[in-house]
Amino acid sequence: MKPFAFTLILILAYLAVIIPFADYQRTRPVVEKMGYVPTPQVLKFVSADHKGVTAAALILKSMMYFGAIVEPQFNTLKVPPDYQSMYGTLAAAVKLDPYNMDAYYFAQSFLVWDVHEVKAANAMLEYGMKYRKWDFMLPLFAGFNSAYFLKDYSKAAQYYKRAGELSGAELFVNLAGRYLWQSGRTEQAIAYLTMMEKGAGNEAVRRSFRIRLQAFREVRRLEEARDRFRAAEGRAPKSLEELIRWGALTPIPRDPYGGRFYLEPDGQVATTSKFTHALGAARKP
Amino acid sequence: MKVIDIQGLKKSFTGKRMQRVEALKGIDLQVGRGEVFGFLGPNGAGKSTTIKSLMGLIRPTAGTVRLNGIDVHDPASRRSVGYLPENPAFYEYLSAQEYLTFVGRAFGMVPQRVKERGEQSLRRLDLWEARSRPIRGYSKGMVQRLGVAQALLHDPDIYIMDEPMSGLDPLGRALVKEIIRELRGEGKCVFFSTHITADVEAVCDRVGVIVNGALRMVERVDRIMAEGITGYLLRSRSPAGEREQIVTVDHLSDLLSRLKEEGQTVTLVEPVRKNLEQFFLDIVKGG
Amino acid sequence: MTSILLITLKGIFRDRVFQGIMVMALLFLFIPTIGSLSMRQVTELSITLSLSLISFILLLLAVFLGGTSLWKDIEKRYTFSVLGLPLSRTSYILGRFMGNALFLCLTALFLGVITLLVILWAKGLYPPSRPVRWDNMMIAVLFDTLKYLLLVSVAFFFSSVSTSFFLPIFGTISVYLVGNASQEVYDYLHSGSQAVKVLPGMVVKAASLLYYLIPNLAAFDYKLQAVYGLDIAGRGMALTVLYWVIYTTIMLALTAVIYERREMK
Ligand SMILES: Nc1ncnc2c1ncn2[C@@H]1O[C@H](COP(=O)(O)OP(=O)(O)OP(=O)(O)O)[C@@H](O)[C@H]1O
Ligand SMILES: [Mg+2]
Repeated sequence: MKPFAFTLILILAYLAVIIPFADYQRTRPVVEKMGYVPTPQVLKFVSADHKGVTAAALILKSMMYFGAIVEPQFNTLKVPPDYQSMYGTLAAAVKLDPYNMDAYYFAQSFLVWDVHEVKAANAMLEYGMKYRKWDFMLPLFAGFNSAYFLKDYSKAAQYYKRAGELSGAELFVNLAGRYLWQSGRTEQAIAYLTMMEKGAGNEAVRRSFRIRLQAFREVRRLEEARDRFRAAEGRAPKSLEELIRWGALTPIPRDPYGGRFYLEPDGQVATTSKFTHALGAARKP
Repeated sequence: MKVIDIQGLKKSFTGKRMQRVEALKGIDLQVGRGEVFGFLGPNGAGKSTTIKSLMGLIRPTAGTVRLNGIDVHDPASRRSVGYLPENPAFYEYLSAQEYLTFVGRAFGMVPQRVKERGEQSLRRLDLWEARSRPIRGYSKGMVQRLGVAQALLHDPDIYIMDEPMSGLDPLGRALVKEIIRELRGEGKCVFFSTHITADVEAVCDRVGVIVNGALRMVERVDRIMAEGITGYLLRSRSPAGEREQIVTVDHLSDLLSRLKEEGQTVTLVEPVRKNLEQFFLDIVKGG
Repeated sequence: MTSILLITLKGIFRDRVFQGIMVMALLFLFIPTIGSLSMRQVTELSITLSLSLISFILLLLAVFLGGTSLWKDIEKRYTFSVLGLPLSRTSYILGRFMGNALFLCLTALFLGVITLLVILWAKGLYPPSRPVRWDNMMIAVLFDTLKYLLLVSVAFFFSSVSTSFFLPIFGTISVYLVGNASQEVYDYLHSGSQAVKVLPGMVVKAASLLYYLIPNLAAFDYKLQAVYGLDIAGRGMALTVLYWVIYTTIMLALTAVIYERREMK
């Protein structure tokens, strides 16, 4: 009976350990989980002819990390996402599989808005365009980045032209033309974000687009109210409060990032959150 | 032409740390058709090494080895050879029948003949009942029997068997001996190694004794038996009663005439011989 | 040779290797689910995963079947009974190789068909943005099979010079890894980059020599072309097949030559 008793004790010991162990693993800080990604050279070597899978795994890893972080963000934000290592991971992924659209799409979704690394984003998109020659999305992203963030309209026009040629869609051809800087920035952003939100397969990413879209819709509402005020009163409103008192804004605009809208001295609509959770949460009273 | 022809065969093994073992130190040996040759020798004498050389499994350091006149590095030399390795092992995931089919195919036999001969040899070796069970489940003796069966399968002219009786029960030993005798009757050549002198005595025409890699003696078994008579046992009867005595070969005729003079009747004369085992021990120790 | 081929195949099937593959093939069922984690390329990811899974299973077979095939016969003392038959060692080697090769081909075919079904399924769930190139998929599986046949011949070569299974198994795995990277290393060394210039000339020469010696397995990788429906150059395929024929033949010839002289003690 001795071996039996021994086995039984071992099983009990296992049960005793497995619960705290699993608990710890569940609550283990996410930052730790993002972990270290070996250099692309090493990854290339060890993944031999499974580079595609390794790339997909890296992308999934950063998406899951992002997903895990975005959800708790709705309330408070304890950890700012480690965008730098997310970018590093995605950059490694496209070294392994330069065709992987997920990587470009995902990098685009946070690099420009949250990290303001527009140049890095466009460099990555340029790299992708060398491979995904058929894909209109990459020049479209690059075009948007150039126009909206860099305000480099001639470069943007080139990108949009390419996107137009590849997709054959009128919209991009128009964008490439004069329309580009006639249409307001906010309008552009909304058009772009709507498209991105529709295309997002991953729930966390889609939600982040939806929030941003919501913010821009609020901005548009504010801008429209501001323009109506100017048309009626013949001068620009001094502050947001004045606009609200004037009665052009119901309901009162709310920044989904938790920030507060205000009017810049030149009449531009801005928010204290700068459209990021980190700042929005920090400024929260 | 002798069907087994070994000339000046030397073999040395180089083990770890460059130790050289001279396993065979120049063997010359010929065995002909219709002959059963017993290969006797103590452990490590070089019996298996000789047999592996015969089968082309190892390359001689010096000398030539031919079967049916063909040098053994040519696989064709094994066309008409049935070989039973020492402690044989056969693909254990196959059944005996499947294994025989494989062997038959390797010898280029037509399927019908494989079937007939296969059944014959399996029945002969008492494996018929177990024929479709995987070899994995066979006992040691059953594997040994299968080894004999596969050597018989294609009815070769030459049989080379390394300790064919090892691992067999008394019935099996008797059976194998009977088979060897039959093969001799069919004019086949059988070459087998063994440790058991009685087996040699029972079936062999000739015996070779190998000690330390050198052939000490090759002789006809009947001659050894004849030369080995050391004296005679004599039984005689007189009114006084029965009497037995042993005399040397030289004194036999003297004794016989003396007994006759004494009026005794000789009832039995039997040669007293040194048996093969004694003979073998003398050779091994004498070296 | 056919006799050895047949018992080799029988041995593999009797060892329930195929059942093992069927169990591994169950992983294919999860592929569309995993594929749907992708944001923009569900079908592409499904193809990537399927092809990699095939490649992985074939790798396991090549390494473990190919690496133990000859060793096992020696270890279990089967060589005495088999090589005592009037078979040349060359035909024994070829029979063994063909048996393993045939099994690998059957497996590739089986898994290839499963892949087609899985991709059809994934494609139905999430229509891809670009049409699936079935011809490219077949080419990818075919060249993967060739690659692993070549690897089996490498494993045989290692088996012929070694008495244990360590060299065949680990040697083959190393060749697999290095063979997949050799092209990139070579390209890098000849890219004229600053980092290369500081390397001693000997290193570059040795690496180049290795590049010509080690099988170039990256050449057989058409997975990206299958996943993204890229065009495949016919000349590249033809040269790769030619390369495969010659390399595999050389490996088998060397194996046979060494095995012919090997002692079964
Ligand atoms: N592979 C080998 N490496 C080194 N030495 C070997 C090898 N095979 C055999 N020998 C040596 O050769 C000699 C002859 O061995 P062999 O197997 O021929 O003996 P044997 O007569 O068959 O003995 P047994 O009656 O025990 O079967 C022995 O001294 C043995 O140690
Ligand atoms: Mg022996």
